[in-house]
Amino acid sequence: MTYALWPEYSVVIGVFVTMIAVMVFNRRSIQAYWVGLATIVVSGIITIADWSSKSLPVALYGHAVTVDAFSLVVNGLVLVAAAGALMIGWNDKRYGPDFPVLVLLALLGMMVLGLANNFVVLFIGIELLSLPLYILAASRGTGESGEAGLKYLLLGAFSSGILLFGLALLYGASGTLVFTHLDPAHMILPLAGAGLALTVVGLVFKLGIVPFHMWIPDVYEGSPLPVTTYMAFGTKVGAAAILMRFLFFGFSLDAGWWGPALGYLAVLTMVVGNLLALAQKDLKRLLAYSGIANAGYLLVGISAHNMFGARALLFYLLPYGLAVLAAFAVIQFVAGERDSLSLDDLTGLAYRSPWLAAFLTVAMLSLAGIPLTGGFVGKFYLIQAALFANQPGLAIGLVVGAMVGLAAYVRPLQRAFSKAAGESSEPIRWPVAGSIVLVVAVVATIGLGVYPAPVVHIVNHSAAFYWLH
Amino acid sequence: MFLVWLMAVPLAGAIATLIAPKEVSKAIAAITSLVGLVGYAGLLFISRAGIDWAWIPQWGIRFHLVSDGLSLFLLGLSAVLFVVAVFASDAHAGRAYYFWLLVLSFSVVGLFAAVDLFVFYVFWEVLLIPVFFLLTGWSGERGKKAAMKWLIMNLVGSFFMLVGVVALAVIHNQNGGGLTFEISQLSGMSMSAGVASWLFFAFLVAFAIKAPLWPLHGWMPDAYGESPAPVTAIISGVLSKAGIYGILRVMIPIFMPQFREYQTLLLIVATAGLVYGALMALRQQDMKMVTAYGSLSHMAMMALGIFSLTSVGLLGTTFYMVAHGLMVGGLFLVLGMLENRTGTRTIQDMAGLNRSAPRLAAYFLFFVLGTLGLPGLPGFAGEYMIIQGLIASHVVFAVIAGFILIVAAWYMLRVFQAVMQGPARTTAIKDLWSRQVAWLVPLAGLVILIGIWPAGITAHAVPSLYHAMHFALGKGGVH
Repeated sequence: MTYALWPEYSVVIGVFVTMIAVMVFNRRSIQAYWVGLATIVVSGIITIADWSSKSLPVALYGHAVTVDAFSLVVNGLVLVAAAGALMIGWNDKRYGPDFPVLVLLALLGMMVLGLANNFVVLFIGIELLSLPLYILAASRGTGESGEAGLKYLLLGAFSSGILLFGLALLYGASGTLVFTHLDPAHMILPLAGAGLALTVVGLVFKLGIVPFHMWIPDVYEGSPLPVTTYMAFGTKVGAAAILMRFLFFGFSLDAGWWGPALGYLAVLTMVVGNLLALAQKDLKRLLAYSGIANAGYLLVGISAHNMFGARALLFYLLPYGLAVLAAFAVIQFVAGERDSLSLDDLTGLAYRSPWLAAFLTVAMLSLAGIPLTGGFVGKFYLIQAALFANQPGLAIGLVVGAMVGLAAYVRPLQRAFSKAAGESSEPIRWPVAGSIVLVVAVVATIGLGVYPAPVVHIVNHSAAFYWLH
Repeated sequence: MFLVWLMAVPLAGAIATLIAPKEVSKAIAAITSLVGLVGYAGLLFISRAGIDWAWIPQWGIRFHLVSDGLSLFLLGLSAVLFVVAVFASDAHAGRAYYFWLLVLSFSVVGLFAAVDLFVFYVFWEVLLIPVFFLLTGWSGERGKKAAMKWLIMNLVGSFFMLVGVVALAVIHNQNGGGLTFEISQLSGMSMSAGVASWLFFAFLVAFAIKAPLWPLHGWMPDAYGESPAPVTAIISGVLSKAGIYGILRVMIPIFMPQFREYQTLLLIVATAGLVYGALMALRQQDMKMVTAYGSLSHMAMMALGIFSLTSVGLLGTTFYMVAHGLMVGGLFLVLGMLENRTGTRTIQDMAGLNRSAPRLAAYFLFFVLGTLGLPGLPGFAGEYMIIQGLIASHVVFAVIAGFILIVAAWYMLRVFQAVMQGPARTTAIKDLWSRQVAWLVPLAGLVILIGIWPAGITAHAVPSLYHAMHFALGKGGVH
C-alpha cells in the first residue's frame, strides 16, 4: 500500500492543528508541543509504511515530485532532526508559542527538498525551509538572537535570489522545469553553464560550503539552542538532499561541469572549517565551524559522483546528525539559563556530571571520526566513495580535514576532564525530553559504530541510482 | 569464540568500574586482568583459536580474529603487563583511571588478534583514546600537552593509513577480487609500483609513529616523561610493540616488493634511529628518559630485524618484541617505585640507594641487565637473531648494531651505578614491600624462563611467520 505523499500531508495537517492548539490554549501551551511530536511520529510511521511498499518509486504531479527510497530516507532523517530540536527545546519558556509550529513548517520544507524533481518545487522547498528558520533564529527577539535572525534573513534572501536567477537561466536554456528531463546536450551552453553555476552556488550557500559559509557561525551562535541544532542537522540534510537530486538527476551525464569544482570546494571546506573550529572559544561557534567542515565531507559524496558517493553521503548524515543532537543537548543542559557556553565553562564537567562528560565525549569522538562511533563508519564510507571514483585527492583532503578537526574536538574534552579551579557550581538539571534525545543519540552513535550493517543496507537500497556506476 | 571472551572480560570489567563504588575500582581491575591472564593461559592450549563473523557484509568486512604464532605471545605480553600495571597502580587513582586502563586492555587484544585490516584499524585507533585520557587526567599541565601530542601525532599517521587501508581494498576490488579487507587476501596483490610505494609509506609512517621509530618519535619524550609509571610501562611495553607488529602483520605480506626496493634506505634510517636513541640515552640526566631513549634505540633494533628481510631477522624481531616488552615494562615500574620513594628522577640527586633498599636494587639490576642484552636473559637471544639476520643481508649494519649494544650497556649501567652504588649520599629509602615483590617475582621469573628457553616462543612463531611471508617467499622475498 502506498501512501506516497502522506508523510508530507500529515505534516501539513499537523501544522494547522498545532496552530489551532496554540490559539485555543492561549499563548504558550504544552499541547502544541505534544501535537507537534504526534505529527512527527505519525509522519514517521507513514514513512516506514511507505518504505515497505512495492509501488515505489512513483512520480507525481507531472514529474514535479518523485517519491522513492531516497526521499523516504531523507524524510526519516529530517523527522529525527525535527523531533530532536522539538524535544531539546521542549516547553522552554524562552521560546515563543510559535516554536512547534515553525519547527513543523521547516520540517515540511526539508521533506519537500527530499522529493523535489522540479525547479519550482525546489524553490518552494528552500523557502519553506528558510522562512520558518529566519523567524526561529530571531525568536529570542532582542540582542544576539535578533541579530542572527536578521543576518540569516538578509543573506538567505540574497542566496535565494541567486538560486532563482540560476533556475531561471536553466529554464531558459533548456525549456523544462523537471530535473530528469534536462538534457544538457541540447541546451544553450553559456546560458546553461551560468544557470548551473548560480543554482549550485545558491544551494551550497544553504549547505554552508566555504566560501559561502560566512553567515553560519554568527547565525548558529545567536540563535536559540534548539534552533541551532535544527539548522545544523535538518538544514544540512535538506540542502544535501536537494543538491544530490539536482546534480545526480539533472546533470549526471555532465559531471565534468560540476564535479571538479565541487571537489575543490569540498577539500577547501573540510580544511578551512576544521582550521577555524580550532580557534573557537565558544562551543556553539565551534560546532558551527564543525558543521561547515561536515558540509565539506558531505560534498565529497556528491563530487565523487558514483553510487558509493550517494550512499556514503546519505549514511554520513545520520551519524553527523546524531552527534550534533547529542552535543547540543549537552550544551543545553550545561548552559541552563544561558544561551551559549564557552570552552572554559566546561572545565570540570567530568566531576560535576560524569555522565554528561561521557556523552559529550561520545559526540565529539564521533564528529572526529574515531572508530566504534558512527562518525568513523561514515568517514570510512566517504573515503571508499572517493577512492572508488579514482579521486585520492578527495580522500586525502578528507583525512587532513579530520586530523585538524580532531584537535578542535578534543580541546573541549580536555577541559571537561580537568579539575575546576575551586567553586563547585550548582548541579545540572536534566530535562526529561532533552535527556531522551541525548541518550538515544549517544546510544545510536555507538550502535552505528559497532554494528552499522543494517543502516548500510538501508542507504544502499535507497541510493541505488542505476545510471551511476 | 575464546578470543571474544578474552576481549569481553576487560570490557565487562571496564563497565563494572563505572557502576561499582570508587573504592573497589582497583580490585575490579585486578580481578579482571587476572581473569584475562588465566584466559590467556587457556589460549596457549588451543592452537589457532579464532573467530570469523560477518561484520559489514556490504563492504566485505569480517570480524576476523586469530591467535597465531605472531599474535599469541604479544597477547600474552599484554595480559601479563596489564596485570602487573594494575597491581602497581595507585589504589586511589580513581574509577576513570581503571576504566581507561581496562578499555585499553580490551582494544589491545582486538588489535593483536585482528587479521582483517578494517578490524585492525578500528582497534588501532580506538586505543589512542584511553591512552589520551590516561595521559591527560593523571598528570599536570605538561601532561595535557603530552596527551595532545600523542593523539595528534598518532592520528596524523593513522588517518593516512586509513586511506591506505581503503585503497588496498578498492584496488583489490578493481583487480576483480571483490571488496575485502582480509590481510591474507590482500597480500600478493598486483598494484602499480607508484601507488604501491605511496601506500607503503602511508602504512610505514603510521606504524613508525606508534612504535616510535626515529625520526617520528616526537610524542615520546613528553608522553613517557609525564605519564605515571604503570601507564609508561604499558605504552612502552605493549603499545610500542603494536607499531612493529603492524609492520610484521600487515606490511610484510602486502608490500614485500617495496621492502626490497627501499631496503637500504630503511636500514639507514633505522640505524640512524638506533644510534640516535643510544646517544640521547647517554646524555639524559633523568633516569626515566634514559630508559625511554634506550627503548627508542631498541625499537630501531626491532625495525632493523624486519628490514633485514631475512627469516631469522624477522624471527628475532618477533621474539625480541615480547622479551623487550616484559623487561622494559618491568624496568619502568621499578623506576616508578624508585621515583615514589625518592621524589626525584634526576640521576645526580641519588646515590648509594642499594644500602637501604637492596631488594629494589636487585630488581633494578635485573631489568637493567635484561634490557642491555645479557646472555641468558631474553634480550640477548632477540638481538642475536636480529644481528644474524643483518649479517646475512647487509653486514655493515650488523657491525653498527653490535657497536650500539655496547653503548646500551654503557647508558644502562651508568644509571644503575649512579643511583644504586657509591657512597650513600641521599637519605635512606624504604625497600620493596612484600606485596610489590609478589608481582615482581613472577615477572622476573617469566623473563628468565623465556631467556633460557627462547625456543618456546620461536618454535611457535616460525610457522606463522612463514605463513605471513608466504607470498613474499613466492616472489623471492626473504632468504
